[in-house]
Parts: sequence; structure tokens; C-alpha cells
Amino acid sequence: MARISIDPVTRIEGHLRIDVEVDGGKVQKAWASCTMWRGLEKILLGRDAREGWVFAQRFCGVCTTVHAIASVRAVEDALQLEIPANAQYIRNLILIAHALHDHIIHFYQLSSLDWVDIATIPKADPARAASIAEGYSSWPGNSRRELEAVQSKVKGMVDSGQLGIFSHGYWGHPAMRLSPELNLILFAHYLQALEFQRKACQIVGVLGGKTPHIQNLAVGGVMNAINLNSLATFNMDRLGMLQSLLEELIPFVQQAYFIDACLLSASYPEWFRYGRGVENYLAVPDLPRDAKATQFDLPGGLIMKGDLASVQPIQNWRDQAFRSAVAEDVTHAWYKGEGAQAPWKGKTDPDYTDFQADKKYTWVKAPRYNGQPIQVGPLANVVVGYASRHPLTRKWTDTAFRTISSVHDSGTPGFNLTPEELQSTMGRYLARAIRSAMLSDLALQHWQLLTDNILKGDDTTFNPPQFPSHECEGVGMHEAPRGALSHWVIIDKGTFTNYQAVVPTTWNASPRDAKGVPGPYETSLISNPVVDPVKPLEVLRTVHSFDPCMACACHTLDASGRVIARVKVL
Amino acid sequence: MSTSFINPTAGRPARRIVVVGLGNVLLGDDGFGPLAVEMFRSLYESDSKVEILDLGTPGLDLAPYLYDADLVVIADAVHPREEEKPGTLCIYRDGDLGREAQLRLTSHDPGVQESLAQLRLAGHAPSEVVVVGVVPESCAPGDRISLSVLNTCLVAVDTIARLLVERHIDCHRRHDPVQSSLWWFSGEYDRRVGFDS
Repeated sequence: MARISIDPVTRIEGHLRIDVEVDGGKVQKAWASCTMWRGLEKILLGRDAREGWVFAQRFCGVCTTVHAIASVRAVEDALQLEIPANAQYIRNLILIAHALHDHIIHFYQLSSLDWVDIATIPKADPARAASIAEGYSSWPGNSRRELEAVQSKVKGMVDSGQLGIFSHGYWGHPAMRLSPELNLILFAHYLQALEFQRKACQIVGVLGGKTPHIQNLAVGGVMNAINLNSLATFNMDRLGMLQSLLEELIPFVQQAYFIDACLLSASYPEWFRYGRGVENYLAVPDLPRDAKATQFDLPGGLIMKGDLASVQPIQNWRDQAFRSAVAEDVTHAWYKGEGAQAPWKGKTDPDYTDFQADKKYTWVKAPRYNGQPIQVGPLANVVVGYASRHPLTRKWTDTAFRTISSVHDSGTPGFNLTPEELQSTMGRYLARAIRSAMLSDLALQHWQLLTDNILKGDDTTFNPPQFPSHECEGVGMHEAPRGALSHWVIIDKGTFTNYQAVVPTTWNASPRDAKGVPGPYETSLISNPVVDPVKPLEVLRTVHSFDPCMACACHTLDASGRVIARVKVL
Repeated sequence: MSTSFINPTAGRPARRIVVVGLGNVLLGDDGFGPLAVEMFRSLYESDSKVEILDLGTPGLDLAPYLYDADLVVIADAVHPREEEKPGTLCIYRDGDLGREAQLRLTSHDPGVQESLAQLRLAGHAPSEVVVVGVVPESCAPGDRISLSVLNTCLVAVDTIARLLVERHIDCHRRHDPVQSSLWWFSGEYDRRVGFDS
């Protein structure tokens, strides 16, 4: 029995430690530990509820808009305040652009190098690579000339021995299996991705005033002034600018990223058998199509025990079952107390012990849904949508399955995949790409909804909030890039008296609970292969498939204020 | 598409100068970067080409903001290899940043170095990067900045201005400072958004 401790796990946002016990080349037990203290919510106590979002968007430097929007939705829920349709569409477009940015970074910058061996790129035949890529997609960045330019850059890097940030990669690992040509194609897109991240940021900037910290939100709507006759406000020029940015961004998502995820899936079929983990899935409804938020373009629902035939829908943000089901357990987390508490009653008082596998071992609390651990994220989003017969989810999932079955250049023949098999390490990568393709379609739809509504003569963007003199409680939901996010607030006379954020990575990186039941990361690693305990690449593949973002799961840097760690950057 | 993504031949925009503040304003002295750039905006008037950005703690999301820039000045809380007293001003230039990834300069690495390395490889790296850093005293949750860091902040702001002037970028001290929006310090935010008026 070998015990491996990976601390810190690199190429994620924030600090995460993973411990696994390996026997017979497979993981037998696993622990996920977040090594940073959590507690930024405390900063919100006593503050004006109208300004909460400004602070909430600093919880995490990556998911800024995500927390800002969950915060205003929580306050609006507490006040039962409806917001204008324009405000819904503007918020939705910001959320979509942010999510696309985030998913692109995850696939290429944060995780592709677990699968792509750049050391083989000098051996690739760029002409053959171009013809393979052009066989699946009309993406203009697949030209022979483009691929030759990328290859010569990589050659220069390898020949000079200056691998720089790539020098710690697991190059030549036996679990790396792509042909040199596929490695070249994916790495070319890795470099091209930077330009499209920029386009996504620009979309957020046009709508939000600034990026990454948007300025246009308000409890009650958005502060964008709409006036088609004024140069200084949100007008047809801005709408046109948004449309062109979307038209530049979307082809990269649907023709490069989505196809790459299908090629990767086809090349690593065994990874649809590993990493299943917790089979309970939660997605919350998002992208409302109307002011009252009664219809949603991303359906919400709950699937238990991997039974994709029965989904319990979450129709809207006022779902009572959701409100009473969520509780956070601190038995194995470095907080005072034991057992579980509803977020509205939750406290965040630290009680650090040290890593004790049988007792407390992480700063992440253990959220439970009716006492059960839950997996959230793009996979939950896609399986809930598929099970709900949501047409857009089915369109892109079926397109992915068709593409994978048609692949013939990966060294393995194409194969037929089922929604059931999406519950796996590779399934999480593929689901994120399916979701990105869906969001791209939805971006254009919500741009159209906004434009039509403005042309109809509606220029309202804000309904002023009225705070009652009695205490009120609210939940703000958002189906964020990493999954279901909820902000839980209690407001008294306009100020917060409690504030708890139950974030996606808290659901997924959850430790064991009072009953000893492990969370999704921990469960997904059981039976994960590990060929070489010194290079636990396969463990990273499964952990990275969740897109960990520890910064908001538990906040803060080094406690000592000194050099934190020598970080290995892959 | 006529131009290559990797070796862009299409014209880069005219000079792009970016002054970036990094750090989390909710974590005490970690908020040095955002504070410094906001004070710079308030005290100095600079060429319209100069973008002043409070980017928080973007991790790898930093890359798009540095894309194709001619000069990037980063204000950030730093943890130097050699132990220094809190409040010490540390300036690092491109060469110091090094191509070695293990070097941990600021509390927000690996974001800074990895983003720069990726941009370099993609052919969109900034021509010059200068880090204006300060050694923090405490990065515990809260909106307070230590006195030692606050004192250094004024020197850091003048340093940013000098870096621009040395490169012939128009930048001069304002006769009347513009209102700064240090919303994260208690009370300031109310005045900025007019809740009190």
C-alpha cells in the first residue's frame, strides 16, 4: 500500500491537497483537503444589502461576476423583487461570456496538458495534422501554415531545453496516448485560446462597464442606461459590438474546443470508465427568459443514484424543496461544532487541528442535500438537461456522440457513447464542452431577446428595492461554470445579519460527513489507476476534470504572510 | 481568416500601456495592488493610452489583459526570496521575473508568470513588465491596510509615475486629485454610490 500526497495540486485556482492510498495500481482511499482558511462571508455582516454584491465579487478573483449575480439574486429573492426583462438578458449575457471564458481556460490552459504530450509535437507531420483537423471542422486555425508555425515554436523550445512553464509536465508518461498530430492540433488551439479569452472578456466589459469586476449591477436590475438615440448609453452601436464579438468567439467554441473535446474522448475511451464518483447530481435553473423568471434556458433538477430515467425538476428559484434540503456538515472540517446546519443558520468559526484523516482535515465544509453528497458542475447540468428531454442539451450531446463515433484518426476506432457513460472523468470534460456549445447558441438567442425588447420600446433596467422593517431571508441561485452556486442571506432593516455562500467547489471538494460518507472528489478517485506512484498523472486527470477552484471554496492565502510553497507549475 | 493566430501580421494597436493592481481587497495588505492603482488614478493624470486596471486575483485569467501590451506595470503584494521587512518596496524587472517557474514573486503567482509565459509562446507577450511590489504585514481577512504598507503606497505611486515618464509616456501630478473610489474601506463606498446623499 503506497500513500501519495499531492500538495499542492497544480493548474487549479487556489490550494488543494489530495491524499490517496494506492494498492495494486489502483486508488483505494482518497482525501481532499483545502489548505486555505475560509471565511470571507464575515466581511458582509452588518453591511448594506444593496452593496453586498460589490464585496461578494471579490470572494474569488476568477468567478467575480458569478458571486456578484448570486448576491443580487439573493437579496431580490428576500425582497421578492422582480427585475426588468432587459436586466435579465444583460445579466445572462454576462454570465454566458464569463462561463465561455472559464471553460476555455479550463480545457486548454488548466487541463489539456494532462492528455497532450507536447514533447512529441516535433515529430508530427503538420500537413497530415491539418488534413485530420479539417476532416472534423472548418476552423480556420487548423491550416497547415498555422500548425507549422506552432510546431516550429515548440521545436525551438524543446531544442533549447527551455521548456519554461512546461518543464514539469509528465512528458512521455505511458498514460499519454495521442498521436503527435493530435498533440499538435490541440496545442495549436491551446495557444489560439488566449485570443478568444480576450474576446469573452471584452463582452463582459461592454456590458459590465469593467472587467473582471463588473460595475453595472444593482439590487433590482442593472445600471446600464438604454437609449437608442444617445451615444453615451447602451445603444445600437453597443449591441452591434456585442454581436460581432459573439460571432468571433462562438466559432472557436463550437469548431475548435467542442471538436477537440470529442477527439480527446475518442482517444481515451477507458476514461469513460473511471472517475464516476458520487452519482447524485444537482443543477439549478438559470438563464431566465422573462422578467418574472418563470422560464429558463438551462433546466434545473436533481438526479439521485445515477438514475437518469428519473429527474426531479427544480422549476424555479423559489423551489421550496431546495431551500429545506441544503445543509453544511463540519464534522471533518476545521470549524467549531459537529454535524450539519442549514446555511441560514450556518457559522464560520475556525478550529484548526492539522491534517487528521480520521477527524478534521480540510477548510471545506461538507454540503449535503437531504443528507446526501451531491456532484455539481457541467456534468450535472448536462445529465439533468438530457434526462429532462431539454432540446438544446440533447442537440449538442447527440452531436458529440455522433462525432466521437465517427472518429477514425485517434488510434482507436470510434465508439458509441451513452449518457450513462458520461458519469466519468472524461464525461466531465465532454459535458463541459457540450455545455459551452449550448451556451454559445444561447448567447445569440439572449442577444436577440435583448435587442427585440429594446426595439419594442422597453428601456427599463431597474426596479428600486424597498426594504421592510422586519427580518427577511433569501437565496440567490446561479448555475455557475463549476456548478450550482447559492448565496443564502438574512437581511434585517436593509443590512445583512447572516451571509453564507454554498459554492460549487464546496459541493465537489466536500470532505466526509458525520456518517463518514466521502464527497465527490474523494469518491471519484476510488479505483482510479496509478501506473507510477511518483508521477500520479491519472489522479490529476480525475481531479482536474472537476475544474477545482479553491479560492472561493475556502479563501485566503498563506497564514504566515511569508513564502507559501514552492509551487510546481505544469 | 487571412492572418495567422500565432504570428500575427495584422497591426498591433498603437502603444498599449497597462497599469495593473493585483490582490484581494478583502484580505488586508493583500489589497495593496488595487489601492496603489486607485491612488495613482486619483493623484496622477496620464496619457489616454494608459489603462489603469484593478484586476483583483485573476490567476490565469490575467493573460487577456496583458495581451500585446508595450508596457505592463504590476502593483502587487510580494513575498521576496530574501526575507524583507513589511512595507519594503521591491521593484522587479523582466529579467528578475525569470523564466524559472519555481520563483515565487507575488502572492498571485503562478498567475503572473504562467500568463506571461503563455503570451510569450503565443506571440502576444508584453514588451516590458515591471513589478512594483510591497512586502505585506498581514493578509488576514479584513479591509484594513497596515500603516507600513500604506506609507510605502505613496512611494509606490510615485514610482509608477516615474516608470511611465522615463519611457516618455505623458504623466504628471494633478493639481487637484480626483476623488478616489476606495469602496472597500468602511464608509467610502456609501459616498461613492451616493447612498448618503
